[in-house]
Amino acid sequence: MNYLQHRDLCEKLAAAYVLGTLRGPAARRFARLAAEHATIRLMVSEWEARLTPMADAVAERTPPASLWQKISTRIAAKGSDSKARGRDETASGLWGSLAFWRGLGVAGSTAAVALLAVLMLRPPEIIQVPVEMVRILPAKDTQPSYVAVLEDPKTHKPVLVAMAGRKSDTMIVRAVDERPIPSDRDLELWTLPPGAKPHSLGVVSARSSSLVKLAGNADTELGNIPTLAITLEPKGGSPTGGPTGPVLYAGPCLKFWQ
Amino acid sequence: MKSLLAACGQGDAQAFQRLYQQTSPKLFGVALRIVKREDWAEDILQESYVSIWNHAGDYRTQLSAPLTWMTSIVRNRCLDWLRRPNLELAEDDDHPLDGMESAMAGPLELLQSSTEAQALANCMGTLEAKMRQTIMLAFFEGLSHSELASHMREPLGTVKTWVRRGLDRLKLCLDT
Repeated sequence: MNYLQHRDLCEKLAAAYVLGTLRGPAARRFARLAAEHATIRLMVSEWEARLTPMADAVAERTPPASLWQKISTRIAAKGSDSKARGRDETASGLWGSLAFWRGLGVAGSTAAVALLAVLMLRPPEIIQVPVEMVRILPAKDTQPSYVAVLEDPKTHKPVLVAMAGRKSDTMIVRAVDERPIPSDRDLELWTLPPGAKPHSLGVVSARSSSLVKLAGNADTELGNIPTLAITLEPKGGSPTGGPTGPVLYAGPCLKFWQ
Repeated sequence: MKSLLAACGQGDAQAFQRLYQQTSPKLFGVALRIVKREDWAEDILQESYVSIWNHAGDYRTQLSAPLTWMTSIVRNRCLDWLRRPNLELAEDDDHPLDGMESAMAGPLELLQSSTEAQALANCMGTLEAKMRQTIMLAFFEGLSHSELASHMREPLGTVKTWVRRGLDRLKLCLDT
């Protein structure tokens, strides 16, 4: 559908996007559209100008001095290199950036080749969304040291990619191939420790990126884990604490560091 | 503030510090209002200011006022934070919706701090109470349509209509 010929619809989408009621794939599609069309970006800016003054009602609070220290340290690290500026790798670029993966220094391994293949399957994802529209998570530790490509065992096609930095207690799981699941089911991610029962890491989205909170840092939680797997479970995850549904995808949990 | 942002775009770290001093109390207030936890609000602010520094050169004066641009960056990160799967709820027994009353109590009195805010307050005042409440809940709590419906104890369709009509009317009111 040609959105630009439906100005009213675009207006409504822009309003809902800015207010925050436009969600999930619809919101992502809209952000992509805005990245491509200046008309739509303008609509978003106009809605931001209309609604953001609501925030004027909020009482000011001075943040602790330590916050400025952290921020100034981070910009000092980057600021000296003008080339690094404008490329906010914690924003939209991380997943899409080939340079980033090359930077891992593992290009020789088959795993890395597989990963590059996975990421290159989706070139349309590499788009520059205006920063004020970027809804991503503050990534404390964006160095992916543990990476698992979860494949469909029948077709060997990658469906989800999971990754976590060694010291991070958060794992990012991203659907690289949107496979529909029944609306009353959820995907649940498990570690399969050798000689022990599968351990649930939580429910993940079949269509977008999820953040999974680990019980400790990734080194503790994933250091001895050879394999991760996804099962189909009732909404909200397995009621028993162990997997109850079929294993849909699985893959080795790889460790990347020197 | 526009010239400070422009200087940041050129890599002027002192300008950035001044910008931070001028805007961080407001932006920290906004982040706290939305995520309601200081540690989260600090993390969000840290990421937001790094983004602001990195993207100051992309800021276009003709599209939005500097504070609107910066507030949008912070608010979007807050909304994203609230939409994390497996979000641990605040440890104290704060219900995620506590504090909402402060926004509900008297939006008209609260929204007095700038011309834009006054215009918005006037237009919000023309909406029916429930329509106004729904829009403020969505804005400050990041609630989805279905969360709004369960919070307001109204059918989903009704809430969707309030949001849509409320936004339509706001636009009409603000643009004239």
